[in-house]
Amino acid sequence: MSITTLLLLPLAGFLGGIALAALAPASKSPRASGAIQKFVAVAGFALLFVEALATRSAADASRVELWLFGFPLHFAMTQLSWYFIAMVTGITLVTVLFSLQGLRDDGKYPLYYVWLFAKTFGMLGVLLANDLLSFFIMWEVMSWCTYFLLQQGGERAKRAAGGYLVYAVVAGMLLFAGLMYVLFHVGSVEFDAIGKAFAGFSAGSVIAALVLILIPMLIEAAAYPAHWWLPSAYANAETGISAYLAAISTRIGIYGMTFFLFAGFGLSVINIASANKFANVQEVLMVIGAFTMVVPTFTALFQHDAKELMTWHSIGQGGYMIVGIASSTTLGVAGGLFHVFNHMTYVSLILFSIAAVEYRTGTTNLNKLGGLIKRQPIAYLGLLFGIIGLAGIPPMNGFVSKWLIYRALILSGHPFIALSAFIATLGTILSVYKLIHNMFLGQLPERYNDIKEVGWGMRLPIIFMMAVVWLTGIFPGTILGVIAGIQKSLGLEALQYTTYGVAQGAGQLNMLVINIIFIAALLVSWLIYLAGGKRKHIGQYDNYAAGHFLDASIPYNYNYDFYAGMDHIFGPALHKPPVKRLEQSIGAVVLNASEYLRRLFTGNVTTYAAYVVAAAVVVLLALGGGR
Amino acid sequence: MSVLSLIVWIIAYPLITFAIGVLLGGYERKFAARVERRIGPSWIQPFYDVVKLMTKKTNISHGYMHDVAILMLLGGTVLTLYFVPVPGFGYFAQYGDFLVISYLLLIPSLGMALGVGETANPNGSIGISRALQMLAGYEVPFILTFIGVAMKNQTTSMLDLIKIQQAGGIATWGLVAHPLLGVAALIALQGMLNEKPFEVIIAPHEIATGPMTEMAGKYLGIMFIQHLIAVPLELTLYINLFLGGAANWLEYIVKLFVLWTGLISVSMVFGRFRIDSAVKFMWKISLPLAALGVVGIMLNIA
Repeated sequence: MSITTLLLLPLAGFLGGIALAALAPASKSPRASGAIQKFVAVAGFALLFVEALATRSAADASRVELWLFGFPLHFAMTQLSWYFIAMVTGITLVTVLFSLQGLRDDGKYPLYYVWLFAKTFGMLGVLLANDLLSFFIMWEVMSWCTYFLLQQGGERAKRAAGGYLVYAVVAGMLLFAGLMYVLFHVGSVEFDAIGKAFAGFSAGSVIAALVLILIPMLIEAAAYPAHWWLPSAYANAETGISAYLAAISTRIGIYGMTFFLFAGFGLSVINIASANKFANVQEVLMVIGAFTMVVPTFTALFQHDAKELMTWHSIGQGGYMIVGIASSTTLGVAGGLFHVFNHMTYVSLILFSIAAVEYRTGTTNLNKLGGLIKRQPIAYLGLLFGIIGLAGIPPMNGFVSKWLIYRALILSGHPFIALSAFIATLGTILSVYKLIHNMFLGQLPERYNDIKEVGWGMRLPIIFMMAVVWLTGIFPGTILGVIAGIQKSLGLEALQYTTYGVAQGAGQLNMLVINIIFIAALLVSWLIYLAGGKRKHIGQYDNYAAGHFLDASIPYNYNYDFYAGMDHIFGPALHKPPVKRLEQSIGAVVLNASEYLRRLFTGNVTTYAAYVVAAAVVVLLALGGGR
Repeated sequence: MSVLSLIVWIIAYPLITFAIGVLLGGYERKFAARVERRIGPSWIQPFYDVVKLMTKKTNISHGYMHDVAILMLLGGTVLTLYFVPVPGFGYFAQYGDFLVISYLLLIPSLGMALGVGETANPNGSIGISRALQMLAGYEVPFILTFIGVAMKNQTTSMLDLIKIQQAGGIATWGLVAHPLLGVAALIALQGMLNEKPFEVIIAPHEIATGPMTEMAGKYLGIMFIQHLIAVPLELTLYINLFLGGAANWLEYIVKLFVLWTGLISVSMVFGRFRIDSAVKFMWKISLPLAALGVVGIMLNIA
């Protein structure tokens, strides 16, 4: 029953929300309507999260059959899907709690929670789907819900959502083609039957099916070069939604990839598809992953909007997951899957902090912010913890997963992929410093002198996520245990983990030792600091500027050309990227073609009649020719 | 290792490293003076500098992050130090390999960057922007040389790498076995230590000592202490990876001073690169050398 509950609960939330909106429009009594929505959302998502945690025992056990228009749709829970379901429901709950205060009651987002329910329904459906047809149907549901969710937030959001839709439709078409391919060659959409048939297929046929199914997953995961939809779509959405989408929605692609490469068909597809030297799926995925890590990360370096900068990173971090999982080693898969969790925690934390700043200042433009550490210290700390996790620096959780991935890549003989991962990390440090510097450090502009820290409704989720990012860095074993279980169910060797990291056999790592020494070293440094004279805090204009006098009339913000040296080196390649140009020219061609196509619709009945006659003639000729 | 000797090592290790750092720093100044036909300051001049700065009465700060950053700077460096094995003390190295060290080394950089950011000084920000770009410059070739060595020996643990080199003699030293990697890492080390021609971060005549512009009194003093610990630490990394580690302290000190003499000699005869030239030099000279070395190792393994 529990799987059914997981599916029906968000669906009920969605339908109920729609009904409520239709019966009692928000315009009549916005306060009451908002309060009801909030209450239902919190209750619903809390219930969903509890239900998800409680159903772990159902993993690998039960299979549910639902009937849709006479077709059976199968749903079941595996260890892998449970991991993702727990993350989806958990982060949705945190996002909702953050949005209670973070989302202003100005009626701009009337159906925010409703579409959140719908999107969650779509994602849970994809995660629970247990045959290819259900997977495809739920995939489409999820894509459309993403589209509607992205639209929340003004004109620009609507346009950007349109951009997403184009990619989503392409992905859906390819997945449909994959479904058809499998249906014609295997004659069944059941995973078991497909697996049995695949075992007897040539490597080429398996790769053909796999490519059709994998490309949609990579598009959803915003892998290079199909990543262009993401930045504008996520950056223009409401910040709470950006956090939610960047944290987990994109990662459904990673789930799909893992599922179909390892477990989906009951056999290790990646081994069949990587046996051939010339069409080696594993190597191709790794190269895609490497590009996904490096290119978006360095693009982020030159962004001027906090949210946009972060969305580029969200793409880049996906590269680590792809590389780790594609390596198909114990360490790599563990690192890739753990990185999904870590990325979810620190990206939502960073975007919550950005949302807190946006809430007070009304902007995320890095050119306009600065010096806010003195006004919003909690948001600053949130961003600091988040960027340390994002850059993968100890003691936060991001380090553990990156460590696993590096080790896997080095030991399995992929030095240059490992190097790309490291280059991406350095690019990350550069750009997140730019982010935190231009928001919180440097000079505080006069106009922000009077702003205050956000309320506890937003502070608490930030503090909670900070704790998660740090604690899972000290005790990575809590999550690695779940991942070891997944690896067992995928037929891989399970990672040897300990509560504090990785066991001796897999190359020891102990995060507790690192944390204890770090804290001790900080304390000793503090003692040395105290041994010196008394310190005095001074104002921001009391500063050395080589003979100039600094005052409010000389604003100092460094966002533009912050990394001038890097700009000299990468600028030409990044400011006019070939993929973007290709996309634009395809767009232009399609636009022109549709312009001509549009002229067919004259609005004149006689013309339409002529079309019908012409079509009839063509059909008759074709039939006659066939005879 | 008994508990008592472990405790003694934990306390003594940073102090010994600091003492070595003072001697290396004094040696550098003496060396530079002799090259320029001066007498130069005392051998332990860096220690006097630290004492002077730490006892200053005026210590100005721009806010709490400025204060915390200086702790992150020193604390992060000491933290890294414990994971770098030296003769007789490699206890903590078993809990973290070279990958851990390379990431821990980023904590001081980040700490300094955050603190300088809060000082709201334009020169400081330029310095940090350069420091981070330089970081990307030298870390990339340096990490690739490590990846090569680690892949060849199928381990990322520094203890194992030292053991392998000690057992095999000079022929298995990283510099001898993989000369391309050794040279590439040496160039990167020059940048890591912020020696000329890569001394773009401080650049006193251009940007008023960059990150140090608003640092004075005990803040500057702690930065000095950190630098004096970081120099032997980074030299030790190279020694452990490419010069066979060291079996005893005499060998270790000799290797430190020989390596340091080579690096500061290069520093004596160069001017300063522009920031993009410095990064490009790393990526056009050092990185391809390392890449060639790694390709060689891959062909060797296959």
